[in-house]
Amino acid sequence: MHRATGAATRIIELVMVALLAGMALMVFVNVVLRYGFNSGIAISEEMARFFFIWLTFIGAVVTFHENGHLGVETMVRMFGRQGRVICMALTNILIIFCCAILFWGTWLQMPINASMHAPVSGMPMIAVFGVAFFTSVGIGLIALARLIRILTGRVTEAEIAAFVGDYDDIEALTGRGE
Amino acid sequence: RAEFADRTLRLSNGVNQDHPVGNGVEAMRACLNEKSGGKMKIADFWGGALGGDLQATQALRSGTQEMVVTSSSPLVGIIPALGVFDLPFLFANEQEADAILDGEFGKYISDMLPEFGVINLAYWENGFRNLTNSKRPVEKWEDLEGMRVRVMQNNIFLDTFANMGANAMPMSFGEVYSALETKTIDAQENPFVTIDTSKFYEVQEYLSVTRHAYTPFLVLFSKPIWDTLADDEKAALQECAIVGRDEQRRASRALSDKSLENVKQAGLKVNEVAPEEYQRMVEKAQSVYAKHAESIGKEVVERMQAALAELRKQ
Amino acid sequence: MTIIVFLVSLLGAMAIGAPIAFALMFCGVALMTYMGIFNTQIVAQNMIEGANSFILLAIPFFILAGELMNAGGLSKRIIDFAIAMVGHRRGGLGVVAVIAALIMASLSGSAAADTAALAAILIPMMRTAGYDVPRSAGLISAGGIIAPVIPPSVAFIVFGVAANVSITQLFLAGIVPGLMMGIGLLIAWQIVVRRDNVAVLPKQSWAERRRATTRAGWALLMPVIILGGIRFGIFTPTEAGVVAAVYALFIGLFVYRELKFSQLYGVLLRAAKTTAVVLFLVASALVSAWLITSANIPGEISGILKPLMGHPTLLLIAIMVVVFIVGTALDLTPTILIMTPVLMPIIRQAGIDPVYFGVLFIMNNCIGLITPPVGVVLNVVSGVARVPMGRVIIGVLPFLLAHSIVMFLLVFFPQLVTVPLAWLR
Ligand code: NA
Ligand code: NA
Repeated sequence: MHRATGAATRIIELVMVALLAGMALMVFVNVVLRYGFNSGIAISEEMARFFFIWLTFIGAVVTFHENGHLGVETMVRMFGRQGRVICMALTNILIIFCCAILFWGTWLQMPINASMHAPVSGMPMIAVFGVAFFTSVGIGLIALARLIRILTGRVTEAEIAAFVGDYDDIEALTGRGE
Repeated sequence: RAEFADRTLRLSNGVNQDHPVGNGVEAMRACLNEKSGGKMKIADFWGGALGGDLQATQALRSGTQEMVVTSSSPLVGIIPALGVFDLPFLFANEQEADAILDGEFGKYISDMLPEFGVINLAYWENGFRNLTNSKRPVEKWEDLEGMRVRVMQNNIFLDTFANMGANAMPMSFGEVYSALETKTIDAQENPFVTIDTSKFYEVQEYLSVTRHAYTPFLVLFSKPIWDTLADDEKAALQECAIVGRDEQRRASRALSDKSLENVKQAGLKVNEVAPEEYQRMVEKAQSVYAKHAESIGKEVVERMQAALAELRKQ
Repeated sequence: MTIIVFLVSLLGAMAIGAPIAFALMFCGVALMTYMGIFNTQIVAQNMIEGANSFILLAIPFFILAGELMNAGGLSKRIIDFAIAMVGHRRGGLGVVAVIAALIMASLSGSAAADTAALAAILIPMMRTAGYDVPRSAGLISAGGIIAPVIPPSVAFIVFGVAANVSITQLFLAGIVPGLMMGIGLLIAWQIVVRRDNVAVLPKQSWAERRRATTRAGWALLMPVIILGGIRFGIFTPTEAGVVAAVYALFIGLFVYRELKFSQLYGVLLRAAKTTAVVLFLVASALVSAWLITSANIPGEISGILKPLMGHPTLLLIAIMVVVFIVGTALDLTPTILIMTPVLMPIIRQAGIDPVYFGVLFIMNNCIGLITPPVGVVLNVVSGVARVPMGRVIIGVLPFLLAHSIVMFLLVFFPQLVTVPLAWLR
């Protein structure tokens, strides 16, 4: 199980790196073309935006797995262990709820996105909007697994510590983009 | 007795409220108020506050928003036939545009739209588009050679300018002012009113009256929500959109002249394109018609050309 | 009262520890249910549209540039340069910290990363020289938060997109206020360090200074490329981001040779993850923003603020106080995302220049990064300097006061922002 998630994470990370490098390359090449050759690749603007959307919504799952999303932990930190665990359970229920809404909405919107095409590349927009399926299922499953561990009493101290925020991990703090 | 429920219709616009669309919405609101005895209200949102025109149109299709007033151009990715209005040098003047849009061809296009989840209540006016730039007056198409022209994210506009030798760059509207100011791009093209209200005269030198395209506004209503309306409500909306149209076009044309005066006052050097050079531009642009007839739909383009030929004969 | 639904759902979700991105989504769902327009498609559509912007692409590029800069040894050379120039002065290392913070601010847009880099190098030196360590840590954190005020700035990009204000104008407008924050810190530092008995660094010879300048030259050129490039129209802010990243990559790999090809993957991955965190938040915020606008919450608030609408300065003071209070509990990006859709229509209605307001608003939010109880930059400096949080909070107080004075000077004298901006553009 752990090995499978580890391998999946590494593949997703590779995709994220490729997307970031790809969008940087497209935008940079367009700058060079404009000054070097007074031309440009019209499709770059659009594709770079789509790479960016994929990067954001694929990356949201990995960073959720790592507890990387910003939260305000002031109040939960005032609680004892039991209070913290209750908040953790409630939070995971709220996240599963949001993921269900996102999944459902993306599902309902599928026909209108499948019938809309990107203006320059002509790509059906479901290819872009559909990434929300990955995000909602990915995050939803992780939250569900956490909820089950909480309800069955298998939640670890490390998980609780991660939930209330680790303020000594400098890498994690600078990775918030603030 | 007429049937009206209490309704608030959310209507969004990419333009600001001081645009002639504001006059049209006001007239439409007054008309709806009268017809429904104050029951149908419009909640209007301006300057893209509820998202861009394309996003709003998608919201209409999914039934999460009632109305949008949008240019036809951004919607080509959903409704390819609307590309016909992006074809360069299509209409010669406002009278032609009115006759075609309010006539049989306009109805032909409107009848296509329910299939895409929207109802077109009326054609309002965005207007003839003209070119501004910071390099030189554009008097013939060759003057566009090498010019960095911002175009909408739309292949027909891209090809129209690329075909004339310009370096056409797709860019979202929000970026245009700073890109012109910093000279990342040399030129942009829009109706006079937009050139004036977006203060492009502050960052441009020349305005060439190229009238290279005419864009209508569509007053769209959400089909899923439309289907829940009573017949009286539908009729009121359709009639009031026409009332709004007449006021909007009147305001648009009055303001267009005023805007041209404003930008001249503000220092833009304005040049007209000589008739024979205009004709050369029209001929040069014909290859764009051929290239995009397929994607727009051959029948649509042929019908449009037939309608125009018919009109010009009279 | 839609405002109550908005506040209770958002604050409630955040209070139980939900990530802010999900709290914003939840708040959107609560609002649409209350308005009787519950439809899951509103969430799905706005989420994706929230990230669908070419301008926002500047964020990953500037984040990447910052990562490459630290990995490529640019930060270290900037600090060495500052030491060579001003290290021998009274309170020398503190002056070095502020000067280096200002230079780094003009290369990177991240307060936390800049603070971490500065603290890692300077705190050990300041400890050895006999400076009061919590106070030094306070100074460095107060210097680090200048990063988002001086361009490039992730905060300005997020605000510019949320408020529909020109990023170029915001960037140019931030320069002078950012420098004023630096001057304010220098003054405060000279006052508090007066009685300390510290070792002063030897004055370096001109030859040494020239060497340090040459070594840092490539790094010092970067702000010129970014700002000059944007100002003179060589590229848009988004393109400036990518050019900065390529430049930092080139310097790190081939000039300073501190960046190894093997490190590149890790650097890209870190930037990609930070991007995902920031942008997922931005995307979620569009869900609540759409519903805030739809429900006309700004109208409701401007009704409450009606007596102030005719007095822009009073209105600004009231807003600044509220933002400051919010900033104690929330960090930079979430505050921008939550408050911009609510405040901007009011600002425009009151006739306040959106660019000027943007500068004040971002500066205020940056100050929030060093106000307890929640201030990520305080956590960074406390972690790197190994000083307990409580002592860092006391150490930062004089500098917090200095920043607040600068901010209120700008509130009372808008010319301090608008005149230099008119000159720069
Ligand atoms: Na900066
Ligand atoms: Na704070």
